[in-house]
Amino acid sequence: MAGSALRRLMAEYKQLTLNPPEGIIAGPINEENFFEWEALITGPEGTCFEGGVFPAKLVFPPDYPLSPPKMQFTCEMFHPNIYSDGRVCISILHAPGDDPMGYESSAERWSPVQSVEKILLSVISMLAEPNDESGANVDAAKMWRENREEFDRIAEKIVRRTLGIPT
Amino acid sequence: MPVISVDRLPLPNLKAYSCVSVLALSACVYYAIQAIKEPNWNTMSDTGRRATPNDFERYNPGYNGTEADARTVGQFVSDIFTVMIREPVCVWTMINMAFCWLILLGRAVQKLVFGELRVSEHQQLRDKFWNFVFYKFIFVFGIINVQYIDEVLLWCSWFSLLGFLHLLSQLSKDRFEYLSFSPRTPFWSHVKLMALLATIFALSGFMFVVSIFVGFFGGFNTFAFMSAEVILLSIRTLHIIIRYALHLYDIRNEASAPLNSAEESKVWEKRGPISYYAELCFDLTALLIDLVHHLHMLLWSNIFLSMASLVVCMQLRYTGYLFHEIQRKYKKHRNYLWVRNHLEQNYPMATGKELQENSDNCAICWEKMDSARKLPCLHLFHNTCLLSWLEQDTSCPTCRLVLDIQNPSSANMESPELQNDPQENVRRPFNHFFHFDGSRYVSWLPSFSVEVSHVQAIRQNHIAASNSQLDAMARQVQTLFPHIPLSTAVEDLRSTRSVELTVENVLEGRLTAPVIFRETEREPSTNHRPMSVLQGDVEPAGAARNWDEFSTENVECEDTASLGSRFSKSSSEREKILQKRKEHLVHQARRRYIEKQRASTRTELQS
Ligand SMILES: [Zn+2]
Ligand SMILES: [Zn+2]
Repeated sequence: MAGSALRRLMAEYKQLTLNPPEGIIAGPINEENFFEWEALITGPEGTCFEGGVFPAKLVFPPDYPLSPPKMQFTCEMFHPNIYSDGRVCISILHAPGDDPMGYESSAERWSPVQSVEKILLSVISMLAEPNDESGANVDAAKMWRENREEFDRIAEKIVRRTLGIPT
Repeated sequence: MPVISVDRLPLPNLKAYSCVSVLALSACVYYAIQAIKEPNWNTMSDTGRRATPNDFERYNPGYNGTEADARTVGQFVSDIFTVMIREPVCVWTMINMAFCWLILLGRAVQKLVFGELRVSEHQQLRDKFWNFVFYKFIFVFGIINVQYIDEVLLWCSWFSLLGFLHLLSQLSKDRFEYLSFSPRTPFWSHVKLMALLATIFALSGFMFVVSIFVGFFGGFNTFAFMSAEVILLSIRTLHIIIRYALHLYDIRNEASAPLNSAEESKVWEKRGPISYYAELCFDLTALLIDLVHHLHMLLWSNIFLSMASLVVCMQLRYTGYLFHEIQRKYKKHRNYLWVRNHLEQNYPMATGKELQENSDNCAICWEKMDSARKLPCLHLFHNTCLLSWLEQDTSCPTCRLVLDIQNPSSANMESPELQNDPQENVRRPFNHFFHFDGSRYVSWLPSFSVEVSHVQAIRQNHIAASNSQLDAMARQVQTLFPHIPLSTAVEDLRSTRSVELTVENVLEGRLTAPVIFRETEREPSTNHRPMSVLQGDVEPAGAARNWDEFSTENVECEDTASLGSRFSKSSSEREKILQKRKEHLVHQARRRYIEKQRASTRTELQS
């Protein structure tokens, strides 16, 4: 039922526009397709991603909010919980039925009570505190554990790129 | 034996085709005119009817009068027609002309109702078209086993008409689904689409009457074969119409207006079950009719032993698929009934007082609640919202309290079969390989094999599309246009699935790099190996660099107040504001970053 999904998305868009959380902007790129949004997320302060503005794409299913949207960063990312093609792997985005990692409790997974705002806030906290057990990007997880200095350097480079500052 | 790949088959363009058709027809008419100039043309034809004295009289030059002239024109036309009917070449030309008319009509409808077709619609249309052509081809020659050219012609014209309506209905469905993704569709396009759907429905009703009429004379089998597809067409069309109406009802107030009366909210509550049952009924009926139709074909084809085994296999496979689908629908419906009964028996509706105390909206749809069901954890939801959630998960959406809804009759309700449903669709075979040995049926038919690449433009399919393949294609695009980021190219390729089409999109400006990142993604294929690019010989972050070179004032700082706290009613204005807000955020972040770097270099220099 795309109709009720549309109503809910419109309500969320309105709320995100009128009371935007600090450092988050999200909305449909082109209202011809209201089920595809772009979000900008500011890197959390005090972390290696501080200062960056990361663009991501959100694609909603027609039965939203019964099923979670899919989220993919459209800029380059290097993070233990983000696949190299930008897809984000966090429990809030997993439908209750599937459990790719096999250890998540259902309490952390998707429920229709969640919203775009909550997803983006979870992604920000994921940027601050990676879960290095999930193997979305094994190289990043390894580096995060063993060579934090190098990890910070790469993150710094990514931050500059998102701001359009030559590295 | 030649193998034709339909996708690469060069089809002539419409203009050339219609010109040739018109020319051919005029040549035939010219021939006919020449032929009837002979005073006794009627007697000269060998198979023709006997010339009546009346005919001679009419072409008698001595005959005159205005009334006679008018009659002569009518007679003239019908004479030409008689001549043309007798000449096989002319008959084929006329049939060709009829096809041409049909195509032109389709094109006109497309221009009028749909405007420019989207790439996925194009693909879907082409795919459906070839599917229909081949299945019906096999049907006509393989199953009905027609021997006479007249019969072939009749069946072909019946199916072309039917196929035409099928394609239009499919196109309307695609377009409806597309329009339902947008809140700003103009009212007028809804009206046009609805009118087209209603016309298709009316025409299919008319065709059903025709098939009854023909079946009356031609026997039950003919009737069943003719009407099966017609019934399917009308059921599908009606389903789309009902879905469309429900959708229009859903969005009627652009999601902003709350439901204003209790009565209206009652209707709102009811629309959930209505759409559920409509979907169930229509899907089941369509599947059942399809199944019966296929079983009928199988039985019929066993009588005629000339059937190619391949056709039987294909039919069997499809019948199995239909059967499986029906079973799945049935299981799903049992689950639905179970959950609904469980809800009604175990969880009471909230009382008016409770509703008043709870000022929140329904947490699932974010709409106001005038009636609600209460879970043991005291959380309230709309009845329909809760039902559709509990169908797939058995916990409270808010607090995750696990509810004791385990359907005992089908303990495997949460089986992967149900969950992976979309995946299953995606994995269905994409290529049809048709092998047709025509000479088996009628001596004048050729033998050939045809491969149709079966591109299903389902949404899930797009997401599940093999990423490595897309990556490779995107890199191909990037070698031509280095300024297009890989992600943008991949995204476009997801819908076009062809490097050429994406390149065309870039050239015609439909695909551009996102504004803010245009300068940043210079290196191609950064997505592919982020490690090597990132770890390259980079100066360490924070190295001495002249931060004063960077201008921070290149932004005309918009009045943020005008951007922030406003949610425009017009969609284009909303888009504009969103774009401005995004740019503003990036510029702010950039300035803050540069200022911070400046400050830190200064403190470093001082110390
Ligand atoms: Zn609700
Ligand atoms: Zn609860």
